[in-house]
Amino acid sequence: MAVLELSGLTKRFGAFTALDDISLQIERGEVHCLLGENGAGKSTLCNLVFGVHRPDAGTMTLGGEPFHPRGPAEALQRGVVMVHQHFSLVPNMSVAENLMLGRASAVLKPQDIIVRMEQLAAEYGLEIDPEARIEDLSVGERQRVEIIKCLLGDPQLLVLDEPTAVLQPDEIDALLAICRQVALRGKSVILVTHKLGEISRVADRTTVLRQGRIIETVAMEGADIRSLVRSMVGRDVQSAGSVLAAAVDIEGKTPAKPSSAAGPASPGEAVLQISDLVYRDPHGVPRLDGLSLTVGTGEIVGIAGVEGNGQTELGLILAGLAAPSAGAIVVGGTSVGGCSPQEITDAGVGIVPEDRHAVACIKELSVAENLYLGAIGKFSRFGLLDKSARRKAAEAMMRDFDVRASSPDVSMASLSGGNQQKAVLARELSLDPLVFLLAAQPTRGLDVGAIEAVYNRIRAARDDGLGVLLISSELEELMAVSDRIAVIYRGKLVGELAAGSFSREAIGAMMSGHAHV
Amino acid sequence: MIDEQMAVFIGSGLRLAVPIIFAATGEMLSERAGVLNLSLDGMMLMSAFTAALASWATGSPLIGVAAGVLVATAVAAVQAVLSVTLRANQLVVGIGFNILALGTTTFLYREIFGPLSRDPIPGFAQLNLPWLPRIPVIGPALANQTGLAYVSILMVVVTWLILKYTSFGLAVRAVGEDPRAADKAGISVAKTRYLGVLYAGILAGLGGAFMSVADSNTFTENMTKGAGYLAITAVIFGGWNPWYTLAACLLFGFATALQFLVPALQLDVPVALLLLLPYLLALVAIAGLVGKSRQPSALTIPFERGG
Repeated sequence: MAVLELSGLTKRFGAFTALDDISLQIERGEVHCLLGENGAGKSTLCNLVFGVHRPDAGTMTLGGEPFHPRGPAEALQRGVVMVHQHFSLVPNMSVAENLMLGRASAVLKPQDIIVRMEQLAAEYGLEIDPEARIEDLSVGERQRVEIIKCLLGDPQLLVLDEPTAVLQPDEIDALLAICRQVALRGKSVILVTHKLGEISRVADRTTVLRQGRIIETVAMEGADIRSLVRSMVGRDVQSAGSVLAAAVDIEGKTPAKPSSAAGPASPGEAVLQISDLVYRDPHGVPRLDGLSLTVGTGEIVGIAGVEGNGQTELGLILAGLAAPSAGAIVVGGTSVGGCSPQEITDAGVGIVPEDRHAVACIKELSVAENLYLGAIGKFSRFGLLDKSARRKAAEAMMRDFDVRASSPDVSMASLSGGNQQKAVLARELSLDPLVFLLAAQPTRGLDVGAIEAVYNRIRAARDDGLGVLLISSELEELMAVSDRIAVIYRGKLVGELAAGSFSREAIGAMMSGHAHV
Repeated sequence: MIDEQMAVFIGSGLRLAVPIIFAATGEMLSERAGVLNLSLDGMMLMSAFTAALASWATGSPLIGVAAGVLVATAVAAVQAVLSVTLRANQLVVGIGFNILALGTTTFLYREIFGPLSRDPIPGFAQLNLPWLPRIPVIGPALANQTGLAYVSILMVVVTWLILKYTSFGLAVRAVGEDPRAADKAGISVAKTRYLGVLYAGILAGLGGAFMSVADSNTFTENMTKGAGYLAITAVIFGGWNPWYTLAACLLFGFATALQFLVPALQLDVPVALLLLLPYLLALVAIAGLVGKSRQPSALTIPFERGG
């Protein structure tokens, strides 16, 4: 019997149709995966079911009754719970306080929650200290709190929006096991992902979404993974090769030596030398703890690690957005540790920062203005801005880097994430001098086509003799692009693998601090 | 002699702190929910005037206080509509209200009481608790207070209990820190913030009414003299904690009371400088503390539900 039934669901945001005539049934006790690329409408669908948005057309029923939640509160009351991509936990409150939020009696009774937490720990193996503050927990632990929060009220339907994107391999295994446990107890699970490896391990059925439409819904028993990929991206898998394999995580299909496809690397002299880098955050917590690393010319070095182990801080320091507490950073003979972003740019460092919206571009300004943000003086004549010259230069750069926008004068905000990132890459790779590129999470939130373009650009830069440091939370991405992968754990590099000897297991073990190679 | 002067100093310090304690305590809760009421001073002034008027008209200071609280709450309700529902800039709204309140009360005061009226209005008597004066210095200082002064301390306790032990308090903290998370936990961000602002309005009303019907038994133009701003400063100074905020309010109260103590001790300090002292203190406190204590993350940021 269907727990949730959607028929003819449509949702528009302005002129953009995010979901178009979606009809779908979720059965009792099943794990139902929603598969699709970024922008396919998966998250929107979840938000409709959870009452965050309301559909423009179509109907929903829950347990046979009409279901049109006007907000999360109503969805929760009807037994629909959701773990969001971005956690909804209040960082400076304790686990127990977060669990009491929105469901407690007038006077708080922490003891009741602690008892219930013990029950859930016994039932699902979800253990966590009720007194711990959220901001002190790891990402995996926070997610556990989210799931506990969902299960407290004994829900009918659990919706998980891209829950594995932030987890390390063994945490993913644990999460998928919990999904099966939940389904076993007669509840239903909707699991959103773009990783096929996970689907084949946990799903009963899978629905593929593309551009807001359902392409197919298939039972996973005996399903052909390749055909799912085809439905998802809308073109043949073979043509995309390792890039696609990396993007969708096809288990066991990742080529052993992917980088060799793009030509062998021949690292030369050191272009970036980091020695004994230490960084303490404003609270005095050490985030980098004696990190040393060398990147040669014509080499892509990948940094693997679970988020929160210092890679973000490393990126910020290299960009000049944070000053190291100790240690040295030398780029091409110039010491840049603690220098201003301008000095670092002058030393020949290109930066593709992790937070594209906050740091890399100014969304309200035009594409042309963003492309020449660091070189405003270049188009200045007698102190006045020569806009037509800048426009022409911008057009040429957009052509070179395939930045698709109707004109250089449209605002950066109107571009897709992929085109924004291509514009950022265009700007950074056009710097002169340029000897080193930092790319931090360069494909986050991009679709397969844009990911491919970013990979190609990074490889081309390497082939031109640039040293590249690639910081990424996607293991497949690192394995597909890097010549060498170093693993960061608690602010230190704990191991390194050369191309050809990459293995998920070895890297995964180092990422969780279990083994050194 | 010294004992007597100290008693007067402590007594007047407490008395001067009471309206700030009321306003700051309510404001603290509202800010914990994420709404800054810069209009606090205006709320107090409107309440002070209304309380004086109602007390004068009916002869009952209690009715005066009720009327003052009612008007301040009404101002708070409008503030809430503007800053929560319409998502207006909270600073601009607050400044607007303060100017409006000053203009309105000054105008009505001159119309009703006449330009330079000093008519006393019915006010509260001091409680004069029988056993208190036996304690040296502090005893007489505490005994010479009106009932409302004790209520102000009671409200600090009540506010602390609300924040720590009730689900409403938990909701307030969550909404001020991470409204998105609170929303997804099924809490109404708007409702929680409305209640927070109204709570600030009620307490600011009590503080304003205290000034006219319990303290000076008259109304004068702009009689709050920035007490609302001092209250907002006390909240920051107190790091959004009820007890530290209370301590900050007392500090401001005693700093103001120095203008009575210093001349009595025949020290040669200009009185004008002493009048300036609490405001100078507030500035120093903020300058020294900004960045150290953590304000609620969503303070002054309107909430809009999004994907």
